[in-house]
Amino acid sequence: MQNVSPATLLVLVPLLPLAGAVLTLLLGRRLKSQAHLPAIAGIAAAAAVAVVLLLGTATQVGRPDGVHAEPVRPVEMISTLWQWATVEAAYAPPAGSAAAIPGTAVGGGTAGAARAFTIPVALRLDPLTATLLTIITCIGLVVAVYSIGYMHHDPGYPRFFAVFSLFVFSMSMLVAASNFLIVYVFWEAVGACSYLLIGFWFTKPEAARAAKKAFLVNRVGDFGLAIATFLLWMTYGTLDFHDTLSADGTILPGILGQTRLADPGGIVGGAIGTAICLCLLLAACGKSAQLPLHVWLPDAMEGPTPASALIHAATMVTAGIYLVARSAPLFMACPDALTAVSIVGATTALVAALIATVQNDLKRVLAYSTISQLGYMFASLGTGTLLGFTAAIFHLVTHAFFKALLFLGAGSVMHSMGNVIDMRRFGGLRRIMPVTAATFLVGAVALAGVAPFSGFFSKDEILASLHAKGWPDAHGEHHDAAPSSHAKRGRSSFSPVHFAPGATTAGEKELRPLFNTPETFRVLFWMALVTAGLTAFYTFRAVFMTFTGPTRVPDEAGHHAHESPPVMAVPLMILAVPSAVAGWWLFSTQWLSHFLSATPSFTAPSVAATAAPHAFHMDLAIQGSLAAAIGIVIAAIGHLGRRSDGPQMERFLGPLQTLFANRFYIDQLYAGLIVRPLEGLAVVAALFDRYVIDGLVNSVAHLPLALGGLVRRLQGGLLQRYALAGVMGVLTIVLALAWRLRG
Amino acid sequence: MNPLLAAASTALLHNALIVGAMLFALGLVGILTRRNLIVMFLCAELMLQGISVSLVAWSRHHGDFGGQVLVIFVLTVAACEAAVALVFVLQAFARTGRLDAAAWQGLREATLARTVDHALPASDASPPQWPRLSTAGVLPPGADHDSLEREHV
Amino acid sequence: MTPLPSLSPGMILAGAVTAAAASLWLLLPRGSENRIARRAGLVLGAAALAGFIVTGRRLGGLGEEAVFLVVSLVAVISGAATIVTRSPVYSAIWFALSLAGVAGVLLVLGAQFLGVATIVVYAGAILVMFLFVLMLAQPSGLAPYDRVSNEPLLSAVAGAVLLGLLSLSIGRLAADPTCCAAPARQPAAVTADAAATSDTLAVDQVARLGGELFGRHLLAVEVAGVLLLVALIGAIAVVARGEAALEDDRRLAAGGARR
Repeated sequence: MQNVSPATLLVLVPLLPLAGAVLTLLLGRRLKSQAHLPAIAGIAAAAAVAVVLLLGTATQVGRPDGVHAEPVRPVEMISTLWQWATVEAAYAPPAGSAAAIPGTAVGGGTAGAARAFTIPVALRLDPLTATLLTIITCIGLVVAVYSIGYMHHDPGYPRFFAVFSLFVFSMSMLVAASNFLIVYVFWEAVGACSYLLIGFWFTKPEAARAAKKAFLVNRVGDFGLAIATFLLWMTYGTLDFHDTLSADGTILPGILGQTRLADPGGIVGGAIGTAICLCLLLAACGKSAQLPLHVWLPDAMEGPTPASALIHAATMVTAGIYLVARSAPLFMACPDALTAVSIVGATTALVAALIATVQNDLKRVLAYSTISQLGYMFASLGTGTLLGFTAAIFHLVTHAFFKALLFLGAGSVMHSMGNVIDMRRFGGLRRIMPVTAATFLVGAVALAGVAPFSGFFSKDEILASLHAKGWPDAHGEHHDAAPSSHAKRGRSSFSPVHFAPGATTAGEKELRPLFNTPETFRVLFWMALVTAGLTAFYTFRAVFMTFTGPTRVPDEAGHHAHESPPVMAVPLMILAVPSAVAGWWLFSTQWLSHFLSATPSFTAPSVAATAAPHAFHMDLAIQGSLAAAIGIVIAAIGHLGRRSDGPQMERFLGPLQTLFANRFYIDQLYAGLIVRPLEGLAVVAALFDRYVIDGLVNSVAHLPLALGGLVRRLQGGLLQRYALAGVMGVLTIVLALAWRLRG
Repeated sequence: MNPLLAAASTALLHNALIVGAMLFALGLVGILTRRNLIVMFLCAELMLQGISVSLVAWSRHHGDFGGQVLVIFVLTVAACEAAVALVFVLQAFARTGRLDAAAWQGLREATLARTVDHALPASDASPPQWPRLSTAGVLPPGADHDSLEREHV
Repeated sequence: MTPLPSLSPGMILAGAVTAAAASLWLLLPRGSENRIARRAGLVLGAAALAGFIVTGRRLGGLGEEAVFLVVSLVAVISGAATIVTRSPVYSAIWFALSLAGVAGVLLVLGAQFLGVATIVVYAGAILVMFLFVLMLAQPSGLAPYDRVSNEPLLSAVAGAVLLGLLSLSIGRLAADPTCCAAPARQPAAVTADAAATSDTLAVDQVARLGGELFGRHLLAVEVAGVLLLVALIGAIAVVARGEAALEDDRRLAAGGARR
């Protein structure tokens, strides 16, 4: 390990799945039923490397100590592969630029010399990246092994694995890239891989439509990322995360580099900053399926279940979380943008949970559950505290495990039931599929947030961060100052100095936070609590409908109705282990939060200042568990042991049931507001093309015909007219000659 | 040659050429205008007459018989042409039943329709009054009075 | 050469040509018979002729002038009548008269043989052939196609323009005494009459014409004879085949097969 540098290892993590994808594309036909081998090999190797990198980074970070005696040093390693593009003299920092940092190439005061704009393909290894790389590759490996069994008889077997590895490559590059433009490139790449996987069975019209919908809705988010990139470039003059050394020896501060983060006024707040953050939020909403761009995720269940497990549960949808977490310093400078993140997250969580309560399709329940849990993560990110950020990542990790487990379990059920996934058509499957039932139960319990499973701890931390913002005094003794030189005592969370630490010193007018008030976060807290109860309800409703009650098997199952083969069952068991214990282990050792706090984005003074000592809030734990218990009990009353096609709980909802079943009519709203006008525009364009443009072209063709028609009349058949024409022609010529020769 | 004679000869040339030109022009107008095949040919012959006059005028002016010889040949060829042309006119009449140049409109665009005359107002030319001669002698037996006269030529 | 005061010959000529065009247009058959139009046409025609006469050259003596004027007027007026008369038989008669006028002009020009030949061949043979055909083919009364003309205005204008051009060039030609000088070709025997009239061809005109014809142009004469024969045979052949084709057409029309 000492011989191979971390930089090489970092490059290997995306490169190995890429090689696997290329090999699968080239050799897939030949390998036929063994076409999974290059992909599995690539992902497995990448997983191993990622774990090695994780351990190496963890070693660098050091063990967490009980008291935060000193500020955590940031750990990062930048490895630049090559310069993709360079534009000479592209950026000339204006005088008094808001993003100026004294002593760097973008100094304040006078306008600087024009500098080149470079886009380096640079990879960065820090705790956040290492965590996510491990999640992506390890869960990817487990799901890939599962797919061997699930996709066994599919004619597109090689194509699936090729796109799968391509996705792992794109996602790895996305979380490892150290430049906003490279992030954008791979943002699009994961969108494209998602499109390919959702539309895997493209001959099915619903699948093709769902893939198109996913891509188009994501496009809206990508638009936000593009605008954010432009604004970032205009403001900061570079798109790198990291600092680079310019040719003249001065440091060119990256957006999230050490130099800028250390400077009090480094990050620009105000209108531009809020615009950038809101654009980034839009991008995150698109990719992570938050309101209002969540509409694609339920439809994306048309794709194969392993794809749903990997992409739409564990990894791709977490790209939005990653982006916001990575841009934490940017968000910290704009408190309203932060609150917007929280509001969006909590609202989405509640709405999605409500919709999930009336879904009868098992995969749709899980899809809405994913949207809801992602909403939780956003709500936590938006609190703007170190606890909030690390809680979001913590929940991301545990959610990846149990959601992937749940999806694979649903896939196992679907596989046995002959592709029937409507829960009302089968029941009592625990007798037929014990392993699936047991692992699914583990996942469900984790999702519902029952102690001591993993979901409980991560959800508890999220609730704690929201509570801390809503009732800042409640656990006042825990807010004793983090010994950062920039900290202030007392109600540190809401002091403007902490959110825009450099704003006053730079003399800028800071924005008064409008929504960043405790009242807002109180509402959000209650929303989150209610959502927790709903989560437990719909999860266990699904469990009871599927696995309890009289055993019923639909006709399509045929001889399939048995437990999945080991190649599918073993991944379920593998995933069940971290779903059960990862939360407790990570929480009790505080390893993850300590590890993540060494991320450069989180060591920024604005974020680090909000660090609070770790504590387990019993009251919140009780509240959360109570909500979950109520949900489980109601679900049990309605569904435990009953036939799944019996009368449903939602008959008590009355008119609300229609609202939830129609997904709050958001799809219809979009169809009416956006799709119909666009279709109308397309009709207009088609008519324009057919009648105006084609008309013009055709009239150009008709012109000679018309002219010919006119001239054709000359040959009417009367010979004397021909003779007359001849005579007149001769006379004309003679006249002309005579005119010229006269005189 | 004295100038007076020269002037006189030039004057005759000039006048004769003018006459020839007028005949030629009249013949040309007639060919382009009239629709009766026979009248068209008559006008062609008129053109030839104009040519003949011009040729003879030049021949006299130059003192050379060449022009007159050419007129003889023109005469000959005109006779041949008239014979053959009249044969064709008769053939045309046999096919269409009339001596109309506009009866033959095949040499036209396929998409155009035949040109058809507008309806003409009835001719108000009174039928010509021929002198009626009194019959001399005794009428042949069974003769009809009306059949003795023709209405037309 | 005695132009009217303040009017140049060119302008008179232009006016005469215009009058001729208008007159022809009015006189040509145009469907309805308008007596006023006919009268106006006649007046204009007379005006045109007057214009031409005025711009003509003065010949030597009054007698010569009168004779030439009479015969040329007969020729031209008859020619005009040929083309405007509605009845084709009348048209043929007028044509005969025009031939007489042309013969007169030819005689004035000294081509005695040709003058007589014109009468004999044209009026005697060709015109008679035309009349025969007319008798065979002409319907009784005026056929509708005799009462209309084909583009009378354009044709009249074309004819008038042609006439104008020709008159103009003839005028220029004859005005230049040097251009058209008679070649110094002294005949063998020049009598006093010939010298007086400057017509070198008048002496023994027919004999010398015959000598020229059969001397220098013998081959052409023989070819012309062959041409006549060919025309004769051709005419008969066309008639014969034409009749057979007609029979076939009738049989086809009656529903039979082509023979």
